[in-house]
Amino acid sequence: MQHLSLTSPAGVFLSLDAVLILLTAFACLGSKLFDRYLTYYGLQSVLLAAAAATAAVVTGDNALWVLASLTLCLKGIAIPLAARRLLVSRLQLQRDAGIALGLSTSLILGAGLCAFAYLVIGPQNLAHGLISRSIIPLSTAVLLLGALMMVVRRHMVAQLIGWLIMENGVFLGAITLTASFPFIVEAGIFFDVIAGFLIMLAMTTGIAERISAASLAPPRREPS
Amino acid sequence: MIALPILAAAGPLLGSLAGLVTARARLAGIATIVGALLSLLLAVATAVVVIPARPLASPGSFVYVDGLGAFFAITVAIVVFLASLGSFSYIATEQRRGELSGRRIRVYFVVFGLFATAMMGAVETANLGLLFILVEAATLASVVMVPIEGRTAGLEAGWKYVIISSLGITIALAGTLFIFYAATGLVGSPDQHLTWAYLVAHARSLSPVGVRLGFLLAVVGYGTKVGLAPMHTWLPDAHSEAPSPASAMLSGALLNVGMYAIIRFVAIANGRLGPAYASHVLLIFGFLSIAVGAFFMIHRRDFKRLFAYSSVEHMGIIAVGLGFGGILGLYGALLHTLNHSIGKAVLFLTGGTLVLAYGTRRTDRIGGALTSLPLTGGALLIGSLAIVGSPPFGLFLSEFVILRAGLAAAYPALVGLFLLLLVTVFVGFMHTTSRMAVGQPRAEVVSPYQGRLERWSAAAPLLLGLCGLLLLGVWIPGWLNSLLLHSVALIR
Repeated sequence: MQHLSLTSPAGVFLSLDAVLILLTAFACLGSKLFDRYLTYYGLQSVLLAAAAATAAVVTGDNALWVLASLTLCLKGIAIPLAARRLLVSRLQLQRDAGIALGLSTSLILGAGLCAFAYLVIGPQNLAHGLISRSIIPLSTAVLLLGALMMVVRRHMVAQLIGWLIMENGVFLGAITLTASFPFIVEAGIFFDVIAGFLIMLAMTTGIAERISAASLAPPRREPS
Repeated sequence: MIALPILAAAGPLLGSLAGLVTARARLAGIATIVGALLSLLLAVATAVVVIPARPLASPGSFVYVDGLGAFFAITVAIVVFLASLGSFSYIATEQRRGELSGRRIRVYFVVFGLFATAMMGAVETANLGLLFILVEAATLASVVMVPIEGRTAGLEAGWKYVIISSLGITIALAGTLFIFYAATGLVGSPDQHLTWAYLVAHARSLSPVGVRLGFLLAVVGYGTKVGLAPMHTWLPDAHSEAPSPASAMLSGALLNVGMYAIIRFVAIANGRLGPAYASHVLLIFGFLSIAVGAFFMIHRRDFKRLFAYSSVEHMGIIAVGLGFGGILGLYGALLHTLNHSIGKAVLFLTGGTLVLAYGTRRTDRIGGALTSLPLTGGALLIGSLAIVGSPPFGLFLSEFVILRAGLAAAYPALVGLFLLLLVTVFVGFMHTTSRMAVGQPRAEVVSPYQGRLERWSAAAPLLLGLCGLLLLGVWIPGWLNSLLLHSVALIR
């Protein structure tokens, strides 16, 4: 898969898709509405599913089809829907007030991180004309943008989305580099992401309920 | 033969099953103890089989146990066994007092088993992807245990833990990916490209840039799990808020599993880049961790946080041992993981009894434990002396070996710094715990446990652990010695 040519139709489509995935990560970073975070994340996951499907067509590997459909159903549809129902609507979240760094500053930092990704990976050192040359720096950039989002946002839901974006970045790299990654490993990683999402969902709800209860009767915390 | 390690990993699931069936802490607790004991015996049996022969491997190397894996499986199994004894008395007492609902008790025992199984599995695979999955699974299982006592602070600590660990572990996954990428030119199936046994054997033909990047990302990523500074910030919160037996598992076992993952990457990096590169990275992280641990231990007012910072310090010591390298350094580092696991499990379980008896974690409200609770107070005092590295306990021996390795590697200035930091740790740690053990006893304090069974299961891990530490300080059994030497040869 990493030997796929950059100029073949599949190669062109994959590169384009990866750029769009990067753009959705930027869109998340540049937004401050919880609704938008989920929309962009859902869109990103659909694009990721398309990348997995392309890889499946190229390699003819059935496991990749399973992975593409799992990505589409769970990450593209189920997670954004569940998060919207259980977090955004139920807790009445609208604007993200817990932004540690202004939006424009975060975007500039994000652009710097993209440049950094290219610098570190050094695609000029990779073999000429191969797909990995365009995808690896892009997936690293998505990973860094997700991490940036976790750092500059204080709200738990925004941090959760940041982590999910990071995972998508790693997944993009995994699909391209390692279309023949053992299926058990990919499935396991997928399972971990879902389990992590569910646990974080439960904790966010728990903490949000405590905080609203706490505003009525502030709990006394033991100093440490 | 391959069934041995699989059964050893599956042993703790017995407790999970019991948790599904019953909400009575005593029943589920006994099943957990039996499962953990089984797991420990099988882990030792696996080690005995593995040492003289070749590694046990399944097709595709998804299950793979060599000397190093067998050694870490034993350390994990020991901690799980000690913690299962502590869980029985701790959770049974909380259930009697009505502090834990039946549902929470079920969750505790189910998750305890899953957590232990994931850790045992993680050290018994050769596949770097599966290693990642199991470490992440162990993390997620342990996250559920942190807020189980229902405090708001516990939820907050759990959130901090899950978010920082997930971030770190995702970075480790990226590192794994780069290592895999570095192997793209090699012959062999993709399964093999993710198998470290294959990677180490073919290290010379890996791409050096990929290995360097992959190693750094893996150290930062798994280092977050290990609690190496500056990625340690989740650790004191999670370790202090979790129920004490769970803290013992977190500190004694999960940190070691993270360190195990780093050691595997060290072996790959050493094979391609020579020992200097990994050594420098580990020395920097190691000394930073010892320093952070040492200075944050001074005047801690919450004793579980004190123990947690001590874990940061000890993980730093292990990283320094790996960094000094050579046979001595690696031997000392591995021996130190075993010693620290036992010592820290004893301390956290002692802490569990103290929390139940005094109803607080604040050090200024605990005094004279030696008079009111002789056994617990004694274990606190002796355990503290052991953990700060006083002779004749095992930690003294392993720290001394690491020190000697530093001199052998000709780092005299670093050895001096190492000694200075250890003295700071001694003063900072003993200052607090000695005042908890001696001093004016509180009149109202009595043993929280009822019945012989609870008393014994609370006392047994303390006595067993301290005897073990004493034994390791004066005598290393022949099979353990050959297991350690075998493991050292795998890393170099």
